[in-house]
Amino acid sequence: MAAVYSVLASGDEEGFWAEAAPIIPHPGELVFGIVAFAILYLVVARHVVPRLEQVLSERTTAIEGGLERAEQAQVQAEAALTQYRAQLAEARGEASRIRQEATEEGAAIVVEMRARAQAEADRIVAAAQQQIEAEHQHALIALRSEVGDLATELASRIVGEALADEARSSRVVDRFLAELEHLEPVAANGAGAPTGQDG
Amino acid sequence: MEGNIAILGYGLSAIGPGIGVGLVFAAYINGVARQPEAKGTLQTIAFLGFALTEALAIFGLALAFVFR
Amino acid sequence: MRAQSAAGSDGFVAPDVSDFWQPLFGTDGPFAVTRASVVLVLSVVGICWLLLAATRKLSLVPGRTQLVTESVYGLVRNSVARDVIGSKDFLRFVPLLFSMFILILVNNLFGVVPPIQFPTMSRVAMPAALTLVVFVLYHYLGIRKRGVVGYFKSLMPPGIGIGLGLLIYPLELITYFFTRPVTLALRLFGNMFAGHLLLLLFITGGEYLVFEAGGAGMMVAGGVSWFMAFVMTVFEILVEFLQAYIFTLLAALYLAGAVADEH
Repeated sequence: MAAVYSVLASGDEEGFWAEAAPIIPHPGELVFGIVAFAILYLVVARHVVPRLEQVLSERTTAIEGGLERAEQAQVQAEAALTQYRAQLAEARGEASRIRQEATEEGAAIVVEMRARAQAEADRIVAAAQQQIEAEHQHALIALRSEVGDLATELASRIVGEALADEARSSRVVDRFLAELEHLEPVAANGAGAPTGQDG
Repeated sequence: MEGNIAILGYGLSAIGPGIGVGLVFAAYINGVARQPEAKGTLQTIAFLGFALTEALAIFGLALAFVFR
Repeated sequence: MRAQSAAGSDGFVAPDVSDFWQPLFGTDGPFAVTRASVVLVLSVVGICWLLLAATRKLSLVPGRTQLVTESVYGLVRNSVARDVIGSKDFLRFVPLLFSMFILILVNNLFGVVPPIQFPTMSRVAMPAALTLVVFVLYHYLGIRKRGVVGYFKSLMPPGIGIGLGLLIYPLELITYFFTRPVTLALRLFGNMFAGHLLLLLFITGGEYLVFEAGGAGMMVAGGVSWFMAFVMTVFEILVEFLQAYIFTLLAALYLAGAVADEH
């Protein structure tokens, strides 16, 4: 330190600094250096760094915002996909359920229709049989009375012809039968009409 | 032959730090090659070691100017 | 330059220390305004103007000027300040480190930029001024954090016995108060001084060989010397950038030690 002071004290001599060891700091340059650096530091700290930091933070926010938006979009897309899949599965379930129902319903309808048709057929058959029965009864009743009339008439004719010869009586019988066949539809209405005009 | 023997002293004083700085950075390169993720930590240590090692050479330079 | 003036009389005189002493205004004494001071002031004015112009209109999508500014700023901010000091409180050191880096870088590059061609940092007072700033801040931060007594206690490396401690402690004091600042300043100074001296030597030597020495062989040697000057200039540009980076990185390292929990 003492050496430095003596150097500074002797520094006023002409030519000292030209030949001085270069590791001795020149006081004037030292002052210039500190002042100049202080000015630069003030400018940088006051104006340059705040602006740069602001831009950096703005950029960070922008990038983070972008990332966040992208993330949100991703989440939304995933949610939509999940929802879509769920809906799809639901729709598939619905479809199969409907199909099943339709099958069951169809089977039920077939069974019901078959039963109904069977019932109808049974009913028709029963009705037909009833009718047949009724007509049968009716025919029986009508036939009975007609046969009685006919038999009575035939008997009276046979008896009236006086049963002389064989051929004549058989002819009478034949003619009666032919008449009977001829008057069949009429006989259904009124059995007493075909009277013996040729008797 | 004229000259200043202090410069020879500086030359001698630069040998050791030269080797030393080489060793420091060789170790640093090895370390980074093995573990690239440790680069930040190693860089700090390497430059501190470099500064300490080179101090000797710098003293040699300074003293070469002082004793002339 | 003495090389030229003395060349005619007694042969080539190599450039030396006196070539870096160039008082421009005032006396020859300790407060002369030297060429280094003028260049430094010019550089500060230029840097301020450039930075203010480049950061006046900043946009999220940077243009070319902004991109250059931001990449230099990002180098100091991210790979120096944040990686070394740690993401907790590096931001308050960024202006200091950034202005320090850009001042050193520009002044170093002035060593090879044609109209100026004088590396300010080859005058030891300039790096000493920057180092003074760093180390006053360094010790101030340490003392503010721990108090005077606590600070000097914390310089003692932990886990060492009292006997060895008595031996180690003076060395630690020397390290923190002498070795580190002196080497920080002298590293930058030495690189710039030696590099510029080398360039001077090759250029003035080549000039002497070509114009004064006479003979075709000497002229060829002078041409080779000039070519070497060109090669060394390219190398100097690399060294200039590297030294600015190392100075800033070491300043950040020391400041990180002051604000870290363990010293």
